[in-house]
Amino acid sequence: MAAETPTMQVVAEPRREAGMPTPMVGMLLFIASEVMFFGGLFAAYFNSRADHAAEWGPPGGHELEAWPLATILTIILVTSSFTIQFGINAIRRGDQRKLRMWVGLTLLLGVVFLLGQLYDYSTLGFGIGDGIFGTTFYTLTGFHGAHVFGGAVGMTILFARASQGQFSAKNHVAVEAISIYWHFVDVVWIALYFTLYWLK
Amino acid sequence: MATTTLTPEARAYNRSWVLDWLTTVDHKKIGIMYIVNSFLFFFLAGILALVIRTELAVPGLQFLDDATYNETFTMHGTIMIFLFVVPMLAGFGNYIVPLEIGAPDMAFPRINALSFWFLPLGGLMILSGYLFGGAAAEGWTGYAPLSEAKYAAGAGTDLWIIGLVMVGTASILGSVNFIATIFKMRAPGMTLLRMPIFAWTILVTATLILLATPVLTAGLIALFIDRNYGGSFFDPAAGGDPILWQHIFWFFGHPEVYIVILPAMGIASEIIPVFSRKPLFGYRAFVFATITIGLLSFSVWAHHMFASGQVFLPFFTFMSALIGVPTGVKVFNWLATMWRGSIILATPMLFAIGFVAMFVIGGISGVILASAAVDFHLHDTYFVVAHLHYVFFGGSVFGIFAATYFWFPKMTGKRLNEKLGKLHFWIHFVGFNLAFFPMHSLGITGMPRRIADYDPTNTGWIILNSLETVGAFLIAISVLPFLVNVVATLINGEKVGDDPWEGNTLEWATSSPPPSYNFEKLPPIHSERPVFDLRHRHDAERLAAQGAEASH
Amino acid sequence: MSDQLFGFVLIGIGILFVLAIVFAVSSRMGRSGTPDGPPPRGVHMPNPSFLPVAISIAVVVIGAALALRGDYVPANPWIGIPGLVLFIGVVIAWVRSAGHEWHEVEQRPHDDAHGH
Repeated sequence: MAAETPTMQVVAEPRREAGMPTPMVGMLLFIASEVMFFGGLFAAYFNSRADHAAEWGPPGGHELEAWPLATILTIILVTSSFTIQFGINAIRRGDQRKLRMWVGLTLLLGVVFLLGQLYDYSTLGFGIGDGIFGTTFYTLTGFHGAHVFGGAVGMTILFARASQGQFSAKNHVAVEAISIYWHFVDVVWIALYFTLYWLK
Repeated sequence: MATTTLTPEARAYNRSWVLDWLTTVDHKKIGIMYIVNSFLFFFLAGILALVIRTELAVPGLQFLDDATYNETFTMHGTIMIFLFVVPMLAGFGNYIVPLEIGAPDMAFPRINALSFWFLPLGGLMILSGYLFGGAAAEGWTGYAPLSEAKYAAGAGTDLWIIGLVMVGTASILGSVNFIATIFKMRAPGMTLLRMPIFAWTILVTATLILLATPVLTAGLIALFIDRNYGGSFFDPAAGGDPILWQHIFWFFGHPEVYIVILPAMGIASEIIPVFSRKPLFGYRAFVFATITIGLLSFSVWAHHMFASGQVFLPFFTFMSALIGVPTGVKVFNWLATMWRGSIILATPMLFAIGFVAMFVIGGISGVILASAAVDFHLHDTYFVVAHLHYVFFGGSVFGIFAATYFWFPKMTGKRLNEKLGKLHFWIHFVGFNLAFFPMHSLGITGMPRRIADYDPTNTGWIILNSLETVGAFLIAISVLPFLVNVVATLINGEKVGDDPWEGNTLEWATSSPPPSYNFEKLPPIHSERPVFDLRHRHDAERLAAQGAEASH
Repeated sequence: MSDQLFGFVLIGIGILFVLAIVFAVSSRMGRSGTPDGPPPRGVHMPNPSFLPVAISIAVVVIGAALALRGDYVPANPWIGIPGLVLFIGVVIAWVRSAGHEWHEVEQRPHDDAHGH
């Protein structure tokens, strides 16, 4: 019945997309959910810490040292946010080669971060099963590391696609989306770094 | 991205329908799969309910032991909430929302399919506990330390955890899809404040899912770490805190119950105006009430924990009572929509009115429980079981059946038989109230929940429990005319056109069922009732044309 | 009543329902491949894909490796490693199909509703 009516109008213009590209909207929403996920883990951390305020610290009397390794890792990850942003600027100008270089550099820094994190784990002297401090520490840093790994996978995909010339100045939404994920992962690390290593 | 049917010389070709449905990314097919899958889990969890009620009809352990009873109510609750109600509403959302906003599909069609497939597989994972030494048995709320490895050994609880993480992730991805679709793909002219209320409730629900479910995921993972890797999150002996589990769970759990009810309210808000032949009273109030409920839902979680002794009671009592206000606004608006309308008591309308009435009862028992002082006596009694079934079942499930009868013609091109529909409704209505109303009394007189057996000398309890069991079986019986109706209609039902109910919203502006791309043409959109406007412009034009003829 | 028997009975009932109802519903839903004709200008419909099912199966396998780990830490490698391999394969396939779609979009005039 509705299809026959003369007063119905064809959608004359194909819809022009205004505003933020849909994949970016999707990535921002996904990041919102990840913020809540880490929120749950941080809540567990702070609750546990409040329960044991007097004796909060690694088991066996070790202290968690911010210097040198954790601070260096922080510098590495923050730098990698800058490098990917330079890559974004490059592709917005249409410079594929520069994009590829900055993505590669970001990926490298990310991998170094992960390896450094694993090295740190090996020197700590306590594990996830060693009391409430060990559990919360490894859960928080471990899931952050998993998210860095996910971001590294994303960077690898970007690197591969950039190598095949699949990005242009007008058409590179995947780069924008993955870069914003990378910044999110960096921000979570900064929060972790201050919470775990500085909040005494 | 051409599909195989798009070339101008497209002809029919026979793909196996199994492959077609397995690989589809069409929101309509995915919506139907959600709905069918959810009904299957509904029947399964319903059988578990019958098992519970059969055991409880008289005192003494009839055929279950305590441990199996615990598994039964745990699986019943988990399946009903996570594998029936939420995905069913998501399924209707999937089918209807793109149509109602005039879009050709969802924003991310392949992720849409992924969200669906996680459901039957995650559900089977949860159920597979039965095959590996016993399914999870700590209640759908999984409280620690009962759910820790030392008290709940065996893979059942681990499978429950992983299955729920899968299902939760599917929900989160689905909510990303809904929000992006609603914000980016509305037809020209459809401002947010002209969008149908059902789409609004899906938008707010999706936001709640997006923000609350990840917290549950975090808690479930923490529990898994405790159970499997020596973690200490919730184990007091190792420095953990069981109350932490409750906070994390209910921070998710409370928004979850609004996730479950808001789309059903949206469904009622679509059906009641159509069958009252009147516009929805207070459209904007509805929108703002929905948003308010969404916001407030994050501020009341500890009312599930009043009896833990570790909760700031006045704040949570106040907020819990406050959230009744926007809900009351909605009830008033539904009633005002019906007032002086030309009511048509077709089956969808019966279920919609039933929804309003049953939800009001559930809401009242909810406000009673919101008072911490009263809650201390009623916590963990059958009063809570009564409340939750009036809102889940009397609310969401009535809404789900209303939606089924209302949108079945759009999805299949055939209308369900009215006589069988009314039979379904009345047996269902009587059975439901018989099963759950006496639980209020049982709770007030102190019958605890989650027990397999009760005092054999308490004749009052025995009578009420037996009546409730009869009610439960009536509900089961009511499903039969529904199933017969669905199958018979699909085989040989009355065919309908685009708009069999004279609806208001865009889904009625295309064929039944719609083509794969949804709309050949879209009507102009100047209000929240574009199809109603279209119908009445024709009437106006026809009258004008008749007037012009008559004057010659 | 033993748990295993109970479980098998439930699953048996479930499977019968699945077969009966899904068959009744989907075989009446109209033939697949019926042409609706081309969509209006500017609307492009996405291709069907097996990848969502495949990735769900991969995730289930990985989940089973974790939940049914027995004494292995962190997970059962016999189940987990095939699951991971499948998962990685599906992700690669997904990314490649995104690449193909990118190429098609680049070749089409820029008039569509997606971010390209």
